[in-house]
Amino acid sequence: MYMLRRLRALIDGNIIALLLLIGLLGLISFTGHRFYMYIATLIMIFGIFAMGYNILFGYAGLLSFGHGLFFGVGAYSVALFTLNVYRDPLVGVLFSIPIALLTSIIVGILTLKHGRVYFAILTLALSMIFWSALVKLRWLTGGSDGLVGIPKRGVHVDLSAPTVFYYFTLVFFAAIMLGLYVLNKSRYGLLLRALGTNEDRLPFLGYSTFTLRMIALTISGVVSALAGALYAVFYSVVTPDVAYWTFGAEPLVMSLIGGSSYFLGPLVGAIIFVSLTTTVARFAEYWMFLLGAALIAMILFFRGGLLGFLESLVGRFKLGVYLRWRF
Amino acid sequence: MDLTSFLVQGLINLYKGSLYWILALGLVLIFGVVRVINFAHAAFYVTGSYLMYTFYTYTSNFIVSLIIAMIITGALGAIVEITIIRRVYKLETIYQLLATFGVALIANEAQKLIWGKGVVYISIPETLGRSVDFGGITINYYVALIIVTGLLLFIATIVFMNYTITGLRTRAVWRDPVMSEALGINTRLIYTLVFFTGTALAGLGGALTVPLISVGPGLADYLIVTAFIIVVIAGLGSITGAYIVAILVGVFSSILVLIVPELDIVILYIIAALILLFRPHGLFGER
Repeated sequence: MYMLRRLRALIDGNIIALLLLIGLLGLISFTGHRFYMYIATLIMIFGIFAMGYNILFGYAGLLSFGHGLFFGVGAYSVALFTLNVYRDPLVGVLFSIPIALLTSIIVGILTLKHGRVYFAILTLALSMIFWSALVKLRWLTGGSDGLVGIPKRGVHVDLSAPTVFYYFTLVFFAAIMLGLYVLNKSRYGLLLRALGTNEDRLPFLGYSTFTLRMIALTISGVVSALAGALYAVFYSVVTPDVAYWTFGAEPLVMSLIGGSSYFLGPLVGAIIFVSLTTTVARFAEYWMFLLGAALIAMILFFRGGLLGFLESLVGRFKLGVYLRWRF
Repeated sequence: MDLTSFLVQGLINLYKGSLYWILALGLVLIFGVVRVINFAHAAFYVTGSYLMYTFYTYTSNFIVSLIIAMIITGALGAIVEITIIRRVYKLETIYQLLATFGVALIANEAQKLIWGKGVVYISIPETLGRSVDFGGITINYYVALIIVTGLLLFIATIVFMNYTITGLRTRAVWRDPVMSEALGINTRLIYTLVFFTGTALAGLGGALTVPLISVGPGLADYLIVTAFIIVVIAGLGSITGAYIVAILVGVFSSILVLIVPELDIVILYIIAALILLFRPHGLFGER
């Protein structure tokens, strides 16, 4: 009976939407259409990246401009590991987890003790340190040319067929999304959200803000690094661009587009962002201009993002009781 | 490499430090008074460069182009403050940062649209291009001009802040905006003025840069990081600190290029990270 209640508490509109999306993504593979699968793979990778990013941004209220660092750490650790140590993409992707964990802790020690403004600036600076190290350490990272030939076919798995790689990404995507969903529903999820809403009160309740921020950063860092690792295997190439801060600002834009205070917000943002960049960007050369304008318009008028806008519509028609989207 | 060549290298690179300082000054003013981290600051700096390039190629008058570039950049800054930034003052700091980030994106793309994706460059005017010999050390007039401008700006800012009535008002807003407003100071006007001044200074810095390095897309992305690092090491809001740190960064980065050409920037960043680990509010920061 208790288990049943626990289970029912876990179910809300988000999980249904999530399962529908995973099912839909699974169906896309049956069409066998190369371009749709390409876009869907990118959506999954950037969806993971944005959802990971939003743990810090949406939950803990920490604005990071340096998430390219974690993405880059994931991408480069899988590249260096598969090329030099053990030739297998699956082991490589899993290997990026401990590396990302370590990086997150170091970054956390350096950045989390200061205010939010310092956090934004320091993460930016750290990601630039990493970026310049990638460019300068030619013997290790291949400089600005990056590393090429990351194998899709390894000792244990062979991902060279597009459909196989698609399922490989989908498994990671589903596992991470469900994991984040459970986190969102758990006590830790609640505490992380408390960081964003009123962190001054947390110490009064006996919690250490530093530890909680560190937990948020670690989860966010590892998830972002996994996105980076999948990205590297997907393209078989990794260049320092992924660690540049403008790249690291993309999940921020995705979170804002979708709505950073919604669990699925970053994922919705990633779907819109990736669809736009892969289709519109071919026609509109200066689409970053539109992006900047959209960003400002969202901050001035729709701070809730697309989901916030939808919710306000739903609220107007009194449907809110049926849909509990907000995390 | 002997000591004198190090010293010469350091002395010449005072100009780099001075340019960093002019860039950082506006950032510090805007952060101190308006409490907004201006992500678009380097974009304004580069706007100044481009405007200088355009006006100088048309008029060939260095001083006039410099002033026009500076004023237009400042006016653009004021427009941005009035139309966008003013509306997010009441929100969280994060949204102010994001708004300026949006402005930076727009500015970068607008520059690509107007001036193309290539680099622009003007030659140093003839009168300023000459060099003077100081007992074996040759110093270019133009380089000297930049160093002197930086120093004058520093003195002017300190004098303005401490010995004029507007400076007093600005400091009051800096300390306590609510109380200042209660005392009848027009804080909105001061915010706009500070934004104008800060971005105009960025424009001046940018305009002074064009004869030295070619300006193109991507420069702003790099500059904003350097400016942030300087401001953070100095401690957000410290004017004197920003001057000292900017000069030191300019000089040290060029000496580091000589010693460790591979890792110059990396080492600089690592030093910055270490300083912050032990002095979280920067070398000259309060609190």
